[in-house]
Amino acid sequence: MKFKDYYGVLEVERDADGEEIKKAYRRLARRYHPDVAKESGAEERFKEIGEAYQTLSDPEKRQAYDDLGRHPSGEEFTPPQEWESRFWRGADPRGGPQGGQQEVDLADLFERMGFGSSGRSGRSAAGFQARGQDLEVATELTLEQAYRGAEVSFSLTVPSRNADGSVEKLPRSGTIRVPRGVADGERLRVPGRGSPGMGGAPAGDLYLEIRLKPHPRFRPVGHDLYLELPIAPWEAALGAEIEMPTLDGTAKVSVRAGMRNGQKLRLAGKGLPRRKEGAGDLYGVIQIVMPPEIGEPELQLYRDLAEASSFNPRQSLEGATTHG
Amino acid sequence: MADDLLIPDDDENPVALEELLAASGLAREEVSELVAFGVFQLAGGGGAVWSFHARTVSLARRAARLRDDFGLNGPGMALALTYLERIEALEVRLKELECQLPLQRA
Repeated sequence: MKFKDYYGVLEVERDADGEEIKKAYRRLARRYHPDVAKESGAEERFKEIGEAYQTLSDPEKRQAYDDLGRHPSGEEFTPPQEWESRFWRGADPRGGPQGGQQEVDLADLFERMGFGSSGRSGRSAAGFQARGQDLEVATELTLEQAYRGAEVSFSLTVPSRNADGSVEKLPRSGTIRVPRGVADGERLRVPGRGSPGMGGAPAGDLYLEIRLKPHPRFRPVGHDLYLELPIAPWEAALGAEIEMPTLDGTAKVSVRAGMRNGQKLRLAGKGLPRRKEGAGDLYGVIQIVMPPEIGEPELQLYRDLAEASSFNPRQSLEGATTHG
Repeated sequence: MADDLLIPDDDENPVALEELLAASGLAREEVSELVAFGVFQLAGGGGAVWSFHARTVSLARRAARLRDDFGLNGPGMALALTYLERIEALEVRLKELECQLPLQRA
């Protein structure tokens, strides 16, 4: 089992009192809470913080943790023999081969602790009812999968409590039908398909969080899609019929004469489908692009154009020091 | 252990109050408070039996997380959820605007 430095995680001294630990937890929670922080890695960090706080905020667990002594973080260690009777019932705490289960970690150990111990009312194994844990699964879909719907397989290791209060990590896998019409960040709920409940209590729910993978062309905002649509300066000037890619093919669109940079062409209903009916829109955002190199014949045409045109693009800067 | 094909809840199905309470871990009074603040909206106009839009489940779970992790009370949860919703609306707007800028090509 790998040692974890809970004091280090909470950035407190080993002799910090309960109040200091709570303060440290709140301060770090504000920074790393997944509902508040958006920086990458925040969620992982918050899990560590929560785990450390769970243990250090409970005097009994904290004592047991302190009894382990100091170890460098990540060091392999074996919990003392007497912990077996303290925490485990039936299962081999060290995840030995005879137990045939996966290795437990320090968090599981403290999670188990106190469960089923006599001092806590309502927590004895007999007659104890608890709704099963919810399971959360995150999945990345391509835009095409969101467009058509998809099946997503997952496999997790789920801690589950046996009737006697012992905890086992069980593999859990399944396939979730993702209906067409999901958007980035959406959470789908499958009621009753989380961990089973205890003592006749209902099972938890399963949640699937949808994330859309970046697409080389289309950028989704809700159910709308945006596409950068490059056109040549003369197409902008003269207008053109062009082909615009869509998620399921191409569509012919007209670029009006005099189209400006950043203007949008909207293809109604060509975005991502909505769950019930209808679909978002597809926007082509006009980008007038210059050729990377301009050859002599074109340069001559531009010179002629400059000569012939009386257009002053800087009229609005009247009074500014420009020539002409 | 493999499960059968799991089918998510239909978005349009309303969620009963009891189900919302079980799924989120919020207390009945907390849900009433959040309804009173207008953070949770009742589906179907709200008769004697309360039911909610499916998306309220994730809001309620978020509220319960904020309550547990920061020790928030009802008004605290209402305020936090309101701000988070505003931030999310702004993020969508920001994304919309970013989508109208030329791609940064390396």
